Amino acid sequence: MQAAQRTALERFLAQRADARAVRIDEARLLAGGAIQENWLLSATVTGGPLEGTLECVLRADAPSGVSASHSRAQEFALLQEVFHAGVTVPEPLWLGDTSVFGRDFFVMRKARGTAAAHRLMKEPTLGGDRERLTERIGEELARLHTLRPPLERLAFLPAPTPSPALKGVEEFRAFLDGHHTPFPALEWGLRWLEMHAPRTREWVLAHRDFRTGNYMVDEAGLTAVLDWEFAAWSDPLEDLGWFCARCWRFGQVDKEAGGIGSREALFRGYARVSGREPTREAVFYWEVYAHVRWAVIALQQGERHVSGQEPSLELALTAHVVPELELEILRMTGVGHA
Amino acid sequence: MRERPDGAELLAIAREVLRNELLPLLPRDKAYGALMIANAMGIAERQLRSGMGAQEEERRALAMLLERDGDLATLNRVFAVRIRQGAFDDNAHARELLWNATVQRVRESAPKALPGASSR
Repeated sequence: MQAAQRTALERFLAQRADARAVRIDEARLLAGGAIQENWLLSATVTGGPLEGTLECVLRADAPSGVSASHSRAQEFALLQEVFHAGVTVPEPLWLGDTSVFGRDFFVMRKARGTAAAHRLMKEPTLGGDRERLTERIGEELARLHTLRPPLERLAFLPAPTPSPALKGVEEFRAFLDGHHTPFPALEWGLRWLEMHAPRTREWVLAHRDFRTGNYMVDEAGLTAVLDWEFAAWSDPLEDLGWFCARCWRFGQVDKEAGGIGSREALFRGYARVSGREPTREAVFYWEVYAHVRWAVIALQQGERHVSGQEPSLELALTAHVVPELELEILRMTGVGHA
Repeated sequence: MRERPDGAELLAIAREVLRNELLPLLPRDKAYGALMIANAMGIAERQLRSGMGAQEEERRALAMLLERDGDLATLNRVFAVRIRQGAFDDNAHARELLWNATVQRVRESAPKALPGASSR
């Protein structure tokens, strides 16, 4: 972080925190995030209600500025909305703009623990009792799904018409139509999704990337749900399907809920808060959908490498997860022999 | 005539050196990069080993199903369009073809995901 940025940021933080002064003691760029940049800030606040040490995360547009997802201001509004609904998220603090940091950004309180999926898979004590953690995730999702349109602050979210499922089918087909290589197995999956699409009369705010790796845990349990950049009005079961989809179990396929717990625990937690019991059959549709959607996203990521726009081994390899996703789609839709 | 060891064989032995000799010495934050390299080499090696035979087989099966000739990309494009139209909703041959072509690609890109492979 450049000295001028740091000084401007200190002034901004002091003003927003109603403090006499703020000193940034440490600013560390966190790994990951090709579209956004996350800075871990440790600051000393002098005066005002937040006097003392302030640990927070600054989330800014990346310098490259490619942004297909929400703007920082929109993401901040989402975070505020879900925070007030009682979802466990990093507390949103302040929204800033280019005049301070050169790019749009917001500041949120730092959450404890780790989000790393590979650590959750390897360290069975992380996150506390796993069935309890899984239930808790169900509860969090149910709390999120209490948010329904219209909400003034979220007026920027488009209506999912004709239905959340069919909107996805249309988008994925539009992508494939513009892509250089045909994917018949994905087309097969899309046809199945079209034929079996639920009508979804009640839209809720869905996270749309709620999976292991996108929530933080400490030794005791869940500390924060992260990455709200894909949130949108959708079918409530989309989040449950995404979480349970086999492709997001990180190799722990018998732990049907995110590779960390049982599906029953997830559904139990969800039902306790929402009063509605999800059925395996209804969620199954969204598990197929999850595989198709992840395959399309993987193709898009691979294409960033293939097109020469952003050479990257990680992006290149992401394209190679598509065949196994397609195989799973075929299995789930009755094509497989195994 | 090309030299032995050929490309696939070279990739195999190079990958072994990377995994067994270099990986243990790398600092923790570089291990992921090395594993990605090993993975990429594995995919390239398996593609070289399977050659063009399976691709040609897929092309022929597609030509028969679609009752027209063409290169693999063109035929797959037609196949995709007709699947979308619902022309193959109840067609056992189309299903078999989809399954076989996909299994072949998984064999190259992610063999551990194949039915019967030990899932880890």
